[in-house]
Amino acid sequence: MTATDPISGLHGRLSRHESFLVWKQFRYLKIACAAIAVSIILYLIDSPYGSRYGGSWAGYTLGTVGALLILWLMWFGYRKRSYLKNQGNLVAWLSAHVYLGLCLLVIATLHTGFHFGWNIHTLAYAMMCLVIASGAFGVFCYIQYPRSMTENRRGTTMPQLLGRVAGLNDQLRTVAMCVDDRTAALIERAVETTPIGGSTWRQLSGHYPDCATAAALAGMADSPANTAPDQALAMRQLRVLLNEKSELLTRARRDVRYKAKMDIWLYFHVPLSFALLAALLAHVVAVFYL
Amino acid sequence: MQAEITVLTRRGTAVMRKTHLLTGESIQFGRGTDNDVPLADIRAELTAAALRQGADGLFIQRLGDAPLRVNGETTANSPVRPGDEILIGPYKIVLGNPPAGLDVALSVELVEPIGDSLQRLLTQSSIGLDKTKLSKRRGSWLLFTTLTILCLAVPIALYSTREGVKPNTYVPADGGSSLLGIAWNPGEISNPHRYFAQNCGACHQNAFAAVKDSACLSCHSKIGNHIGSAIESDALPMRRLLEKMRCAECHEEHRGLRGLVTREEALCIGCHRSLAESLPKAGLRDVRGFPEGHPQFRLTLVADAATRRLQKADLGADPKPSDHPNLVFSHAAHLVPEGFPALGYKPMVCADCHVPEPSGQGFLAITYKGQCHDCHTQKFDAALPGKEVPHGDDERVITELEGFYASIALREGGPGGGVPAPEIERRLPASLLPPPSDPAGRRAWVRQQTSQALGIIFDKNRGCFYCHVPDSARGPFRVAPVMLLTRFLAPARFDHAKHAPIECDHCHDAQHSQASSDVLVPGIAMCVTCHGAETASFKAQSTCTSCHIFHRQELGPMHQVMAGEK
Repeated sequence: MTATDPISGLHGRLSRHESFLVWKQFRYLKIACAAIAVSIILYLIDSPYGSRYGGSWAGYTLGTVGALLILWLMWFGYRKRSYLKNQGNLVAWLSAHVYLGLCLLVIATLHTGFHFGWNIHTLAYAMMCLVIASGAFGVFCYIQYPRSMTENRRGTTMPQLLGRVAGLNDQLRTVAMCVDDRTAALIERAVETTPIGGSTWRQLSGHYPDCATAAALAGMADSPANTAPDQALAMRQLRVLLNEKSELLTRARRDVRYKAKMDIWLYFHVPLSFALLAALLAHVVAVFYL
Repeated sequence: MQAEITVLTRRGTAVMRKTHLLTGESIQFGRGTDNDVPLADIRAELTAAALRQGADGLFIQRLGDAPLRVNGETTANSPVRPGDEILIGPYKIVLGNPPAGLDVALSVELVEPIGDSLQRLLTQSSIGLDKTKLSKRRGSWLLFTTLTILCLAVPIALYSTREGVKPNTYVPADGGSSLLGIAWNPGEISNPHRYFAQNCGACHQNAFAAVKDSACLSCHSKIGNHIGSAIESDALPMRRLLEKMRCAECHEEHRGLRGLVTREEALCIGCHRSLAESLPKAGLRDVRGFPEGHPQFRLTLVADAATRRLQKADLGADPKPSDHPNLVFSHAAHLVPEGFPALGYKPMVCADCHVPEPSGQGFLAITYKGQCHDCHTQKFDAALPGKEVPHGDDERVITELEGFYASIALREGGPGGGVPAPEIERRLPASLLPPPSDPAGRRAWVRQQTSQALGIIFDKNRGCFYCHVPDSARGPFRVAPVMLLTRFLAPARFDHAKHAPIECDHCHDAQHSQASSDVLVPGIAMCVTCHGAETASFKAQSTCTSCHIFHRQELGPMHQVMAGEK
């Protein structure tokens, strides 16, 4: 029985996975580096009276480019949801989003001319830095956690894991029919309360202090050793099943934790982006209003 | 290995059996359809286990990750024999006694169908942050709205509801304007403007409009022009161009504490690098920088003191330029090291005559009374040591002398009467000759005494002409008008106070100056020993505005507030 590579026969339709970071041999990293180089040259060429600042011609150029870049980067949030439109590869968009987002840090910093104060202008800059920092953390998560998740899942999927846990729950109930009431109650509670996930903190920490399965295992360890011979086999089977369930639960909960860690940055990145949009609007209006 | 596989399916109490034969090295179980015995349930692994024929009989081997149980015991590899129960995921595989001719017989049954327990598990589980109270949309709206209100709507409302306040009036701080001033201020406000900085409307009179000159001129109405209006030169179009420019085009506010004055030489050199070519009639020389590119100083000197005519002269010209103040004066003669013991004076120093202005920038004008009189008195008669003629008016000197001697003649007897002159006159040495008793004799006496005194006063070795130039055209006892300048570098400023630690003779070679025509202003070479370019590292950074001013009040107002503009 030889396995055939399902991908090898589908040239042109599918290609092997290419990370957004290396997409097209770092095309957008190169573009971002070029943009940074041009910005630095602009900054150095321009020598307004006094120190360099955002109001000189280079300052306005960098500011305009930065503001347009922010709008375009935010458009990615909309673009990634619209699957039907033929607007290019989403991986390409993400690659551009990451690298051009990082180069925005340089463009905007040069736009400030390194002048900061307690005002809305610096607030907009600080917001932008927070958005970029949260995005950079997101990139780190996208590199770090999928690998951990793959290692943790070991080829299984979450529905499979849950299916197995459900199966074990059924078996536990069946086997527990013949054991003593105390153990049966422990098993019943372990079967009935099997939370996976939950609150934000629980998902992120992976900490389930009131896990009924762990409690049942601990409770069975405490049970008297002199059980009746007809129950001994059942008790042993229950321990095996509980151990198996506990191990599956650990994996499932760890998976949930990795997923939560991988997703949590976006809950900062997106709202901060909108805060940045408001601050940017206030910055631009304040500069031209007065 | 030949095997008989029986798949059992239960429907209530009924059991359906489906049997088929298999031949192969091993029998592989798993979810995948390529397995010998496919286990069609999501909980089974793609490739879960394999039953093989070993040397000691049949054995089952785990191929996947999920636990494999044989008779309730978890195992990775275990020998099996007829009657054993193997659990792979939700499937139970029971080994039976193989019929004749076959190696293995086994039944496969899905004993744990997915049912309520999975549903219950899914109900209890809450996987994914989107199932929590966190919401990207809610957070986004909250932050966007809050910041828009605080940073945009509130400042605009505060600005719009404020009444205009004159910029040069003190505005007491209130919460609203301070918030607006702090929140929207794009940069530090210059120090002179800080006292009304919280009143944005003082300068920003309209929304989305540049700051008008009227806002600046409400305080700076007397700011001087850069180009004079009286000059008949090709610079007039430039003057009009400058007058059309807004103040804020050069003076940018919110650029920090250093102020709004642009000090970079590029601003000046932009025009002045080629003014000799572009405006030849203006008589200006090109400046391309400092120290390189700056021409030698051009001094303003007295050309003719009588007509008060001035001239401009290049300090580096050959022959050297000379001043014509109509005064005979030698610095060297005054700065003799031994001093003037006969008069009781110690050696003189510069400060004996050159008194600084209150600002210390320049020096007060030299006057006879202030600087010369102590040594150079205007006594005219040894017999009258307390009497001096007035200074500064040669005509008055003559009339004063005549009047003085006439009054003596009158006091001694009056015209036509009085005591006749004794035959033998006995006088104390240096005492006055008594007036003759007759009026004709007295008149002659007055004339004689006046003439004698005038000879002394206008003497070239001890009187006026010791220092002054005679004006022979007007008569024998006439002094040519004097014109002494206090500034020689008219368009530039030199602050002596800032250079106080440096000895005077370091720059001014007065010790060797014999004549008042000598120009003692040092050339640019002296400046550049300490002053460098605006970017100099090891010299004082100097730019055009270090010495020159742009707005010169003597050239008239720069801008005028148009009627109705305010």
